[in-house]
Amino acid sequence: MNLACVIHRFGPDIAGGSETHCRLVAEHLAERHDVTILTTCACDHVTWRNEYPAGASAMGRLRVIRFPVRRMRSLHRFADISERVFAGRGSEADEEQWFRENGPDSPELLQFLEQHSASFDRVLFWAFRYATSFFGVPLVERRAILVPTAEDDPVIRFEVLGRLFSRAVGFVFLTPEEQWLVERRADGPLAPFSVVGSGLEPATSSEQLSRIRPGVPTPFILYLGRIDPNKGCETLLQYFRRYCVESSGAMGGDAARENVHLVMAGPANMPVPEHPNLTRLGLVDEGARERLLAHASLLVVPSPYESLSLVLLEAWNHQLPALVNGRCRVLKGQAERSNGALWYRNYDEFAACLTYLLTQPLEAATLGRQGLDYVNQEYRWPKVMSRIEDLLQRSCRVGTKAFVRNLSGP
Amino acid sequence: MSDRAAPGDPVAVDRLMREIEDQVRRDRRTRLLARGGAPEYRDPAIYAAVEEVLRRALDERDHDTLLLPAMLGGEEEWGLRTHLELASHRTLLGPLILFVKRRVLLPATRWLYEYSLENFRRQQRVNRLLVAFIEELAIENARLRKAVATLQGPGNAESVPPVAESSGQQAP
Repeated sequence: MNLACVIHRFGPDIAGGSETHCRLVAEHLAERHDVTILTTCACDHVTWRNEYPAGASAMGRLRVIRFPVRRMRSLHRFADISERVFAGRGSEADEEQWFRENGPDSPELLQFLEQHSASFDRVLFWAFRYATSFFGVPLVERRAILVPTAEDDPVIRFEVLGRLFSRAVGFVFLTPEEQWLVERRADGPLAPFSVVGSGLEPATSSEQLSRIRPGVPTPFILYLGRIDPNKGCETLLQYFRRYCVESSGAMGGDAARENVHLVMAGPANMPVPEHPNLTRLGLVDEGARERLLAHASLLVVPSPYESLSLVLLEAWNHQLPALVNGRCRVLKGQAERSNGALWYRNYDEFAACLTYLLTQPLEAATLGRQGLDYVNQEYRWPKVMSRIEDLLQRSCRVGTKAFVRNLSGP
Repeated sequence: MSDRAAPGDPVAVDRLMREIEDQVRRDRRTRLLARGGAPEYRDPAIYAAVEEVLRRALDERDHDTLLLPAMLGGEEEWGLRTHLELASHRTLLGPLILFVKRRVLLPATRWLYEYSLENFRRQQRVNRLLVAFIEELAIENARLRKAVATLQGPGNAESVPPVAESSGQQAP
């Protein structure tokens, strides 16, 4: 098949969840199909400043075509429109305007889709919340497959989404929770879909990794990813500081509890306070990331909004147990299905679960092992790609039927 | 070597979480009582029932589809207005006034606007939670009234007095 993948920004150095998912899936699709990436010249998802050169290039087996962004995002205008529509006071026109302000605004990309989409058998769009998908999907009806990467946040409640979701001929979901979320918002029954998640290669042998210490105090709990209030990091830091205070004051305290460190590895979008039990590493390379995962006592995922936590899957790939935010349906669902993580909804539960994982090493190791079993069963590339291939075939049949129906007229 | 132990027997996370949550609940009740919380909480069954109602409102209800806001109608009249709308009623000077507000006053006071906004958002979250709690209590009350009516027998199904009467608040 001749496939196009539309994504708001693209590159090996771009770390966002949707972008990484798109790149990995596209690379695997390219083993059997001709794959073209249609994207913008932007690298920064906040400003959408043009940084990559426009035009066609190659990245491995992928053909990449980049289009310039017409205007950078105005943070004030975006904040103002967000405030209006998130308060439930916006009209459908306001909601559409929200997608325009969210960007990236690339008329040339949309024009390309309009003029050339017929040359692709299928056009896959990643992340419904960006203008590239919201305004792109209606231009390639009968061919559009949407990978919504939807989270249970205020955007999913927009009225205009019912129309968008009814225009795709197929959906790739990351979790059953995401499917449920989109199904509730769609006008009418959903087009064929598949819940695929994302694929992982088996982790580097833990024996190899275990010889190299990661250079941080042990035992440590690990946070991997962008340090951002939207990722639940403010709450995590508050909980962790309180936990340290209570642990040091506890009578007959356990050494594992008292000496625990929190290691945060990732770029920071918020001030991170100094604390003797907190180590900030900034953005780390792949090797350091693997070593951290191999040596941590557990991974903590405090995010309230997720469509799939790739870092959680990575942790399980290393047999690492996890502690996740139970208010996020996706994370709790992943924890329940895998038997590989505990969850918390408030400080008391956070402290109780953390103490359990730190003081019951056998059970914690079992949770990690169960997480790995789950990854082996659900998230290896051959399985993930067979689900996507199956969906591509099924959506072809739906697309043809819809085309014939359109030709026949009302 | 890695700092982790070898895995043991299978662990069922659902069961383990129930145990941890039960322990947390017991500890919280003890703490509340020690700090002078409601004496009714000395009865563990009452405490569990109260917590269950609050948890349902907190975790299970969709806070965007509640009855009270639907009955009140559009949020325009009663909801917190967190976004800023700049307007002027003057026909001639209006555009100039708006320009000054947008380009001079707003950027200069943006920090104050954003500081207030965060607190408005928190207040809005609290309001929604409170509405959800009230609705949950109303549902619980309706359920109990129905159960009482059923216990009184089919002939008395309609005879359960309204709450105001049964709690002694008789109309004059």
